[in-house]
Amino acid sequence: MNTDLLPSPGADALRRPGPGQPANPGRGRFASQHRRRLLRADALTVAAWGSLAASVALWLADGGMTGISTLGAGITALGIVAGLAGMDLVLLMLLLAARIPLIDGAVGHDRALEFHRKLGKPSLYLLLAHGVLIAIGYGMAEGLDPVSEAVALWVLVPDMWLAFVSMALFIAVVVTSLVAVRRRFPYEFWYVVHLLTYAAVLTALPHQFSVGALFAPGTWQRWYWLAICIATGAALLYYRVMQPVLATFRHQLTVERVTAVAPGVVNIEMSGLNLNTLAGAGGRFFIWRFLAPGLWWHPHPFSLSAEPLAVDRNGRGRLRITVRNLGKGSAQLSRLKRGTKVAVEGPYGLFSSAARSKDHVVMIGAGIGITPLRALLETTPFEPGKATVLLRGHSDQELYLGDEILELCRARGATLFHLTGSRDPGSRESWLPASEQRAGYSLTDYAPEVAGADIYVCGPARWAENVLDAARSAGVREDQLHYERFDW
Amino acid sequence: MRIRAAVSAALASAGILLVGWQSGVHVADTRSAVAAASTGNETAGTSAGTGSSDTSGPASSGTSGSSGAAGSSGSAGSSGAAGSSAAAGSAAKAGGTYDGDIVQTRFGTVQVQVTVKAGAITDVTALKLTDAEGRSMQISNYAAPILRSEVLQAQSAEVQTVGGATVTSNAYLTSLQAALDAANL
Repeated sequence: MNTDLLPSPGADALRRPGPGQPANPGRGRFASQHRRRLLRADALTVAAWGSLAASVALWLADGGMTGISTLGAGITALGIVAGLAGMDLVLLMLLLAARIPLIDGAVGHDRALEFHRKLGKPSLYLLLAHGVLIAIGYGMAEGLDPVSEAVALWVLVPDMWLAFVSMALFIAVVVTSLVAVRRRFPYEFWYVVHLLTYAAVLTALPHQFSVGALFAPGTWQRWYWLAICIATGAALLYYRVMQPVLATFRHQLTVERVTAVAPGVVNIEMSGLNLNTLAGAGGRFFIWRFLAPGLWWHPHPFSLSAEPLAVDRNGRGRLRITVRNLGKGSAQLSRLKRGTKVAVEGPYGLFSSAARSKDHVVMIGAGIGITPLRALLETTPFEPGKATVLLRGHSDQELYLGDEILELCRARGATLFHLTGSRDPGSRESWLPASEQRAGYSLTDYAPEVAGADIYVCGPARWAENVLDAARSAGVREDQLHYERFDW
Repeated sequence: MRIRAAVSAALASAGILLVGWQSGVHVADTRSAVAAASTGNETAGTSAGTGSSDTSGPASSGTSGSSGAAGSSGSAGSSGAAGSSAAAGSAAKAGGTYDGDIVQTRFGTVQVQVTVKAGAITDVTALKLTDAEGRSMQISNYAAPILRSEVLQAQSAEVQTVGGATVTSNAYLTSLQAALDAANL
């Protein structure tokens, strides 16, 4: 019984229920953790919608409805509400991308970014509507056409030219993030344009407080708006800037050695301090910056491929990532020198025991996506016989770290399958090799308990979608599926 | 989105909107009451201000009498009288009250009246302030005293606009400048 519990350092989920004593014997060890996480996700959903409602309520509470006496006033009112809601969505987007543990730990880093992207267009439309409706509404009040009114606003009203600049920046940011446009430019271009979001928000702020009548000095609305703007800025500053700097200084990571695993794939081992506090119970996904000439500015997102090995009581120890040559950035990593300092951001995501909801677990990985599963397999709690590992690759050589995974499966009593070979070129839905597919195998043949298990999937996006579809048709509920994309 | 999240988000949002709307109705009621009261005060202040200047000259004392009798609607009449007093005085630095231009803004019209005594601005009174929306009225009531004290200190229309009340401030100062021009200040 004890072989199934190799407590990972600081893993909350492991310690709380206690070895062999499920908190809720009838419901399984992870039931209460799961319930808490869902409750947190729901609370965040309510908070997000609530903030949107609050932005409109600000205006209503100011007697906004009673001021609508003419058509022009009505259009102006609509414009004001659109601006309030649009700005609220922009703040929500910033928070979703701020890598706040409360949010990432509830829905996962990739889901948070998915929501972030979904809000992009609606917020832009609201801001555009804000500008157009205000120009029309004010124009009607003054007997001007909207264009002259816009020009008058630009020229005559202080801070309004900044708002026009902000609008242009928002348009640029959203347009470059559209999938069709984004593909045409290198990642770095998109990234730099996306940084302009901060400029867009900052230039949008002055006119809200100086021209926006709702936020005139002395009103509680002004305080509320200031508070949410400052809170968002503080969260960004802390989680995107402070936390990475603090983590880098706390852990003092340096490259120990780089060893080849397979052609084009290397293990990078790093040593550092306080590694017992590095990952905790959360995800195992970090953003690494190797502080070497020509490399330091390039962030590399990789998951741990082995749990931190803290060798002494001070947490001095080693950890490891496994990297495949995907681009020219990754290629340089194979030539890293020993002693190179490493800056680290993270951990991010929810691809860990923190996402568990069931006693059974099924891990399915393909290619380089196998390596994060190895770290998970090392620590996530399961009783012998209640775990299944499926590794997918074109050949045995592509089952990276396959021998380590075999050892872990033996030691912990997990069932391991190797699925090698090309897939059937005619079938776009299959995640299995062609031979297995022809033989009529499906997910339930490998893991009969799949419907009542947590499914962890890591691999190329198209393949992973197929696996998730297969799991869904085998009766797996959405909240049992754990898949994180790291290819942003 | 899960059902629990959807339902509670909908309820919470509806609740927040309802509270906002309710307090909005409440604010609108009190505001119109406050506005009515403050308009009354302003009228009283105007007549008092003109009353104090009536010791300086007989012409303006007549003005003050008419304004006091007719109430707030009479202030238009008094402005005509004040204008005539300016024309009658025609001295470079005559005392009395002078009305500024009526300035149109998207929030309503603005007009101020300036009281001059011995070449100095002794008082500025707002005859009309932006009131297109309930909000503008509140802003006007907030911004006008600040502008007045700034103008009295600077003795000119060259003062900073009030944050959050830019449109009102600009109109106020434009109207004031016209009044000062009329007073040959």
